[in-house]
Amino acid sequence: MTIKEFKLPDVGEGVAEGELVSWLVAPGDRVEEDQPVAEVETDKALVEVPSSYDGTVEELFAEEGEMVPVGDVIISFRVDEEGDAEAGASDDADSAAASDSEPDATADEADASAGDTAPDAEPAAESEPDTPSGRTFAPPSARRLARELGVDVAAVDGSGPGGRVTEADVRAHAEGGAAASGGGSDGDAPTPRPAPTDTGSGERKSAVSKRGSADSAAGAGGDAPEPAGRETTLATPATRKVARERDVDLDDVPTDETRDGEAFVTAEAVNAYADALESPAEPTAEPEPVDAEPADAEATPEPAATAAAAASGTASTERDGDETVPYRGVRRTIGKQMERSKFTAPHVTHHDTAEVDALVEAREELKPKAEARGVKLTYMPFVMKAIVAGLKAHPYLNSELREDEEEIVLRREYNLGIAVATDAGLMVPVVDDVDEKGLFELADEVNDLAARARERKLKPDEMKGGTFTITNFGAIGGEYATPIINYPETAILGLGAIEERPVVREGADGDSEVVPAPTLPLSLSIDHRVVDGAIAAEFANTVMEQLEHPLLLLTE
Amino acid sequence: MVVGDVTTGTEVLVIGAGPGGYVAAIRAAQKGLDTTLVEKDAYGGACLNRGCIPSKALITGSGLAHEAGNAEFMGVHADPAVDMGKMVEWKDGVVDGLTSGVEKLCKANGVNLVAGTASFTGENTVRVAHGGEGQGSETLSFEHAVVATGSRPVQIPGFDFAEDHVWSSAEALDAETVPDRLGVVGGGYIGMELATTYAKLGADVTVVEMLDDILDPYEDDVKRIVRKRAEELGVEFHFGEGASEWSEAPDGGYLLHTETEAGDESTYGVDRILVAVGRQPVTDGLDPGAAGIETDDRGFVETDDRTRTAVEHIHAVGDVAGDPMLAHAASNEGIVAAEVIAGEPAALDRQAVPAAVFTDPEIGTVGMTEADAEDAGFDPVVGQMPFNASGRAMTTGHTEGFVRIVADEEAGFVLGAQIVGPEASELIAEVALAIEMGATLEDVAATVHTHPTLAEAVMEAAENARGQAIHTLNR
Repeated sequence: MTIKEFKLPDVGEGVAEGELVSWLVAPGDRVEEDQPVAEVETDKALVEVPSSYDGTVEELFAEEGEMVPVGDVIISFRVDEEGDAEAGASDDADSAAASDSEPDATADEADASAGDTAPDAEPAAESEPDTPSGRTFAPPSARRLARELGVDVAAVDGSGPGGRVTEADVRAHAEGGAAASGGGSDGDAPTPRPAPTDTGSGERKSAVSKRGSADSAAGAGGDAPEPAGRETTLATPATRKVARERDVDLDDVPTDETRDGEAFVTAEAVNAYADALESPAEPTAEPEPVDAEPADAEATPEPAATAAAAASGTASTERDGDETVPYRGVRRTIGKQMERSKFTAPHVTHHDTAEVDALVEAREELKPKAEARGVKLTYMPFVMKAIVAGLKAHPYLNSELREDEEEIVLRREYNLGIAVATDAGLMVPVVDDVDEKGLFELADEVNDLAARARERKLKPDEMKGGTFTITNFGAIGGEYATPIINYPETAILGLGAIEERPVVREGADGDSEVVPAPTLPLSLSIDHRVVDGAIAAEFANTVMEQLEHPLLLLTE
Repeated sequence: MVVGDVTTGTEVLVIGAGPGGYVAAIRAAQKGLDTTLVEKDAYGGACLNRGCIPSKALITGSGLAHEAGNAEFMGVHADPAVDMGKMVEWKDGVVDGLTSGVEKLCKANGVNLVAGTASFTGENTVRVAHGGEGQGSETLSFEHAVVATGSRPVQIPGFDFAEDHVWSSAEALDAETVPDRLGVVGGGYIGMELATTYAKLGADVTVVEMLDDILDPYEDDVKRIVRKRAEELGVEFHFGEGASEWSEAPDGGYLLHTETEAGDESTYGVDRILVAVGRQPVTDGLDPGAAGIETDDRGFVETDDRTRTAVEHIHAVGDVAGDPMLAHAASNEGIVAAEVIAGEPAALDRQAVPAAVFTDPEIGTVGMTEADAEDAGFDPVVGQMPFNASGRAMTTGHTEGFVRIVADEEAGFVLGAQIVGPEASELIAEVALAIEMGATLEDVAATVHTHPTLAEAVMEAAENARGQAIHTLNR
């Protein structure tokens, strides 16, 4: 019998951890290869994790509801194979042969056998190429912390020399794993770029002071870290070398770690501090000094705001009876995505109301025909078609700003995201190529995606590639809202409830009169960096025209 | 239940008070667990009573005598006389001090001490038979148990241990007189340590070893230095021969008969025969099966990386749990066992267990050899510093041997070291720390080492591996 351990596989692009929602098997159960053994909720979706082995479930290593980093062993199987002699017996044979002279043999063997068993424990496909035979270069304190936090040290990216894993790395992996991948639906969003390619750090410093002379607060202040200014600092020789190379004074590097009561600095901390010192220089790379200043000015509120939030977060204390709910998984992903959008794109929301008598009639007329074909026809496909018409007329609303590359990408495809409220939070499945699809086809697709979103059965792929998003909060109620753009898209359209509301129309006698009529309140948020309010209004007008005269949709 | 049994309960039951067991018991008590330690013989186990400690005492005593008598080159002239009875008495005093210290430490930490032999009677009970006639027995129920029953010397057929002819290491450490001729069966580390000791005490020592060299697992250049020195001390080696039987000789001594694989027989006249061919686990009387614990075909208890046996609440540590069968590994395992029982995230994740052989010169090793590293998939780089280039080694009069350090070439991580030479057993500790910490060659090389010390050789070896040693030519 061989015990095979099975690690939580990479269940989706960039997913660093998942919540083990439920076990589908129990110890002692027979499983076959590819049989689902667990349901794992990642930042992006609920996925089933299949077994890699035929065998019997030996042990479960995670509780339901536990967050499990990718790469952690979650389950072990007793696999009935021929190869079980290997692991234990080879040791035994060796030491039996060496029984003359045991312990020294065994010391070396202990290492060798530690090496032997490690690859056994992990499926070959996952073995780390750069740590032969499962060796991990991390001090015992970090390894213990990893066990405490349920982190697989082998999965941690070490920041020390040669990739040595520090306690800080383990913590970062445990906490921040998802933050790094929290980008949500935009797989291609550029990560913050490293500082411009200045040659030496000395030069970079002087560059800052030169640029900053007009606006020294922005350069020197900003989010540059405070030098810690200690008297003495402990660090390993290799860390000291990093500090020299980065031109950083070790006594200035902030740290929480201590050794023997003295501040202790890791190479990772030195690098982080050096990076932070350099990052304020980044905006100054903007070509035009005139732009550079406001850019700086706009950039500062973000860290300031987050810092304030963090500060108030730590300051507030829990009272008796308060309930603490973990901020993780889908909730945190939504949060990060919203934060990113709202802090990055200056939002403007344009409101208007479409009078949709004709649309209501058109839908009523088509509904039975749709039903005959097994399709439940809502207003959504009409709105989608109207939006495509608007986007074609105003392509900047179907775009993405790539700030670092200093370019706006006008998207050729019309892939509309539909925000769906689920028990776990907001999901945005995407309907691709709306311009190429008919009303019924769209209706079908939207219904299917929405249903699967509610069941948490969407694939990560189905939430990617959107170019514009629709949020139908009116399904629950309400007229107007200020939707947050699904960054890095440029615009989002919120739909209120279609209801009869008082409208002013020309009566039979030619006078104005207030009459009840079905209306659709629209809330369009745009990224003001990309488009101005006038374009937003024009786009809204186009969409309204389509909705008010649904025959026009035929032309789409 | 036996009539007259008294049942008491404990949270943690530790069976065996050797370096695995007493450490587990103390740590468990420190964690606030109600802990009971059962020992049938003497606190401290084989290590303190019949192994590491007494052998080191005799090695030091014999070494001192030999050294004093062989220092003419320094201008020291002496002809020391050894009173073996006195040396053993001194050794016993050291052992007593340590074993009573262990007992006191256990008590001071609140460990309940029970004298007797424990046998499992179920998954949560043992019966402890108290030593001596009519002492009775008691049943102890436990929530968690740690089996730390240790090991004993392996006997070979026809060579039953007895004080006046066939010795195990235990008898060799208690001898009142030095035999004129000592035959040693087994050229492993115990055989070599005691062969060296008795050679220095004046015995004519003959070592018979089945393999074709001593100290089997070590690299050839390490073995060669130790073997050469032993030969200088007058030790005679016969390789490729296995002990087949012994008989009484007409001269009052004994004849040790050996046989090669090809069937060639030899006979050596000796006064005592020391058999040192390995150690085997002690589980007799324990009845591990009654608790559902499995042992392998050699009698070792199988455990996982949290020292748990197949019965999860019963742990096993030290020699009884198999390799590496070293006291310090046992203590490490004992601590892990106690912490796991206390619900802490402890595990046996040591990267390397150092080992020392107290021959002349000493050997200290830790982690991988160059060949191990290659097998493990590393691209190893090796640095070496011979002690004849060490100022401090020269001032001790012992310049044989070297420090060799093995590292991963790309990242520079230290993977292992082999040290043979003066104080190798002490010097290896630094490299063990480097390995556990994930230190690089640069870390070791850039750490300032005291001058003049032997430890500088470790730094120099690290520099040599980086191609920039000062005191040796870089390869």
